[in-house]
Amino acid sequence: MILDLLKKFTTLWVILFLLALFPIFTAAFDLPFWNDVVMRIMLLGMAAMGLNIVFGFGGMVSFGHAAFMGIGAYCAGISQYYGMDNGWYQLLISVITCGILGLVIGFLALRTSGIYFIMITLAFAQMLYFFFVSLEQFGGDDGLIMDRSDFIFIDLYEPLRLYYLIFLTLVFVSIVLMLLIRSRFGVILQAIKSNENRVEAMGLNPLKFKITGYVISAVICGVSGCLFASWQEFVSPDIMHWTRSGDLMIIIILGGLTYVAGPLVGAIVFLLLEELLPDLLHVVFPSIAENWMIIFGPLLIAVVLFGKGGLMGVVGNRFTRPAARKDQ
Amino acid sequence: MTATLLLEQVFNGLQAGITLFLIAAGLTLILGIMDFVFLAHGSQVMIGAYAASAVTIATNNFYLGILAAIPITFFCGYLLEWLIIRHLYRRDHMDQVLATFGLILFFNEAIRITFGPAALFSNFPPSLAGFIEILPDTPYPVFRILIILVGLVCAVAIHLFVSRTRVGAMVRAGASNPEMTAALGINIKILFRFIFAAGATFAGLAGMMIGPLTSVEPGMGEPLLILSLVVIIIGGIGSVRGAFIAAIIIGLVDTIGRVMLPMLFRTFMSGPTADTAGPALASMSVYILMAVVLVFKPTGLFPPKGA
Repeated sequence: MILDLLKKFTTLWVILFLLALFPIFTAAFDLPFWNDVVMRIMLLGMAAMGLNIVFGFGGMVSFGHAAFMGIGAYCAGISQYYGMDNGWYQLLISVITCGILGLVIGFLALRTSGIYFIMITLAFAQMLYFFFVSLEQFGGDDGLIMDRSDFIFIDLYEPLRLYYLIFLTLVFVSIVLMLLIRSRFGVILQAIKSNENRVEAMGLNPLKFKITGYVISAVICGVSGCLFASWQEFVSPDIMHWTRSGDLMIIIILGGLTYVAGPLVGAIVFLLLEELLPDLLHVVFPSIAENWMIIFGPLLIAVVLFGKGGLMGVVGNRFTRPAARKDQ
Repeated sequence: MTATLLLEQVFNGLQAGITLFLIAAGLTLILGIMDFVFLAHGSQVMIGAYAASAVTIATNNFYLGILAAIPITFFCGYLLEWLIIRHLYRRDHMDQVLATFGLILFFNEAIRITFGPAALFSNFPPSLAGFIEILPDTPYPVFRILIILVGLVCAVAIHLFVSRTRVGAMVRAGASNPEMTAALGINIKILFRFIFAAGATFAGLAGMMIGPLTSVEPGMGEPLLILSLVVIIIGGIGSVRGAFIAAIIIGLVDTIGRVMLPMLFRTFMSGPTADTAGPALASMSVYILMAVVLVFKPTGLFPPKGA
């Protein structure tokens, strides 16, 4: 079984392997800052992998998944505000809250489709965003400063503990996703993307599968958000701003949306661009070094116009096997 | 006291609603006719506001600023459609979301590089800075009244254009069924480009008018974009009439809710609870309204006929 997964998802395993060894590299070259960057890559990559269940495999363009990241982060922040420091419980609360919320929002939003679905998911995300902006008790707009959560047995203030906590969670999420995509559920979800009517004609209820996918993806984003709070040691509504939902979609498209590893590749590229483009611009056009987005925006348009299947599709077709084949 | 306040808020709500309508009018057609998710419409608002402010500051004449900004925004919209948008019509929604998201990033940075990150301030002429009494003892700024009037004129003009002219009939046909319209020999490409540029102009006009009221800064169009998307969804994608009604509703609900809900909550709740619940509900009210509408009428209140 594991051997089978090892063979099918080579890229993902290679990336995970490199991520596991990365701290050795940073220690050897004395680049501790990059550990921080890679933690962010793993957190955003994890959230994007969650979103990709509905987005890439289910074909539902949800424009509000940053909200679930925010809910996960606030579950950690608010728990700690009331003195409950235990990270495992916070993780559990995040999972339950995001699951219930994902069920409610998914049930309401999936009554619509197409542009209406994009917009209603955006509306729910905005609703939650403004809800937390106006919660003065938990800092409102300014956010809530917090300590890293207390994961019993793991002191996150010891070096690299947080790194490997995030890493192991990412490995866990990856394995869940690999199994999920190849399960009956995953196959049906991808079939719904290709042709919902045919799935219905086969006697299956597409809505049931879509909602299940939506809930699972919400939970994964929640887990990512909960750990994000510990990484940032700070929670604010900014984490669920609508542009972050856009970022998650960019990450997926950059990496390739029909691949389990796609979002992780996308996150690596996205955050490396974010780190390196300013430096690069500083060399070429020092005056606009801070405005790296003027390069990044058109780059994004170019990827959409000319790139097919994201980086995984362009680079990796020879090495990897698409986890799902899109009707093309 | 409360009645005066309420009246004032109703007018503020109308002004906000009219502004939203100007932005949403073009966008609803872009979404409806071209089935195109265009997120960079807020950038058109920003371009309009910057063009008007820059010319106003340079020439010290507000009217000249508006006059110069209208063709600029039209040209921007036309160019944008020709350069990028027309290549994206046949793509799926997620490609459109991403490409136009990239456009937002580009426009925000371009403006930031050209004009600096700080807000641009341009005053409207003294002749518009006064107050008039809409009721005895209820003064109201002339400039806001002017916005409402200009918006209403535009709304009537758009309505007459769409419902009475030949091109308007093509637009309506396009909103109901683009393929059939094209099959009837109507050059839908030119029609698209024209609608796109016109929509950009109206959005730009909204930006020009609210520029002196709010701060003209990079990213100013995004909150307005999200609200106008809400307007379009509630009104029904592709329906100009729906956009108008929904824009007024949203403007009123948003403005009056922010003032009245906290007051309302304080009458039957303890102080601190009301102070939290009131603003929270007020800032969410618009989105709650949209969710409720979509749950009961998944295609909005006034979907175009035949769609």
